[in-house]
Formats: sequence, structure tokens, C-alpha cells
Amino acid sequence: MIPGLSGDFVTQVFLLVAAGFMLLAVAMFYRAIVGPTTQDRVLAVNVLGTNTVIVLALLAVGLGEQSLVDIALVYALLNFLMAVAISKFTVERGDVL
Amino acid sequence: MSELFAAALFVFVLVTAVTTALLRDVLAVVVVFAAYSLGMALFYAFLLAPDVAMTEAAIGAGVTTLLLLLTLTKTNRTRPDRWIEGVDLPALAVFAALLIVLVVTLLNSIPAVGDPGAAWNNPGVTQYYIENAYDDTGVENAVTAVLAGYRGFDTFGEAVVVFAAGISSLIVLRQVVFTRE
Repeated sequence: MIPGLSGDFVTQVFLLVAAGFMLLAVAMFYRAIVGPTTQDRVLAVNVLGTNTVIVLALLAVGLGEQSLVDIALVYALLNFLMAVAISKFTVERGDVL
Repeated sequence: MSELFAAALFVFVLVTAVTTALLRDVLAVVVVFAAYSLGMALFYAFLLAPDVAMTEAAIGAGVTTLLLLLTLTKTNRTRPDRWIEGVDLPALAVFAALLIVLVVTLLNSIPAVGDPGAAWNNPGVTQYYIENAYDDTGVENAVTAVLAGYRGFDTFGEAVVVFAAGISSLIVLRQVVFTRE
């Protein structure tokens, strides 16, 4: 049985909201495609990371899998890393860490 | 509802993957690749593989971007002459046709999700390992016996890959970070 297919009403609502956030992610990715600067793209992917944390939290309830919350926490902790690295990379060239 | 979520996730991963392949600016590709990794982590989470999703989250959001940026500092980032890569349409058509034929022919051999008749649910195999693992390998933990005994060469290959990856990371890092004045 595929999880989530036979849940009750609340579960379905959680999955529906997750699907909505996923559609939003596609819309957010437009900014990452067209740019035009790298900073625009970094911001777009950063927002996508926050979006991913939300979707993971919704999935944790919708699929009844509590360990997904841990992944959401890891993402929340690591999401800023790319922004910091690329900011340092563009400001002082050649310095990443 | 889970079908709707899966469909939206499919679209997202597809768009990010195509963008990663097509953008000309290398730094932009590094950024967009991180978004692709977000989508893949969600996929693993959706398919109820939290351990794989956790690894993808840690590697994709953190380490991969850093490694790619470190590589960029050691190489030249040429100013892109145009926005996206040119696509060879006939070659694309041939490859797409080949891929579709492969997928359609092979799709039936994949067991359905949760299929009780699939290979993982074969109790004979499990029973064999439980009964004979100690006598065959002398290892008390059955999981360790399978990993290091029955499929030892497989594990050895994995260890070689991880070792090689670690060495090459150290080479890149040493030149960029550790030899700084």
C-alpha cells in the first residue's frame, strides 16, 4: 500500500498543501533560471531551501514518518551555507571557507 | 493527494535538472545544482528513505557546493558568451527515443511499491542468512556478516571509492586552504 493514499481527511489536506508548496517551488525556480546575477540565483535557491523545510515538515505529518522532521532540521541548519560560501567567493575571490 | 505532490515534485526536479545542464555560467550552475539536490532529497523523503534523504541533505546542501566552489577558485570562470547552451536537436531526439525504449522495456521488470511477491520479501533468503551467517563467516552480527563477508568485494569496492574521493578532496583543499600564507 502506498503511504498517504488511504489516510484520513487531515492527512490528505497536509499532502495537498505540500503539493501546493511544491508548485510554488517551480514558480520560485524561475528567478534561478533567468538570474540575471548570481546573487539573484543564490537568493532564489535559499528561498527554495526554506520551502523544502516546510514541505518536509508537511510530509512528516502527511506520511506519518517522524524521521522526516530530522531531515528538515538538517536542511534548516545547512541552508545558509551555500549563500555564505558564494558571498565570500564573489566578494574576496578565491576565499570560500 | 500524494500523486499530485509527486507530479509537482517531478516537474521541479525535471526543470532543475534541465537548467543545470543548459546554463552556460559555471557559478550559476553551482547554485542551480543545489536546487536540484533539494528536489532529490524531497524525492527520497517522499519514497520513505529518510537515511538517504538525510545524506542528500547534508551532502547536497553543504559539501557539494563548497567542493564545486573550491574547484572554481582553482580554475577559470570564463565570462559566458551566451545565456544557455546550444542544443543539438537531432542528437537529442535520438537519445530521447533510445531512453524511452529502454525505460518502456525495463519498467515491467521493476516490482511495484510494496509488492509482497518482490525479492526483498523472500523469507528463504532471510532465513538462510539468519541460520548460516555465523557458521559461514564467524561474525556474530548478521548485518556485518552480509556486509563484510557475503558481499565483501562489493564493500571493498565502496571503500576504495570513498578513499579515492577523500584523497582527491584533500588534494583540492590542501591547495586552496591549507597552503595559504
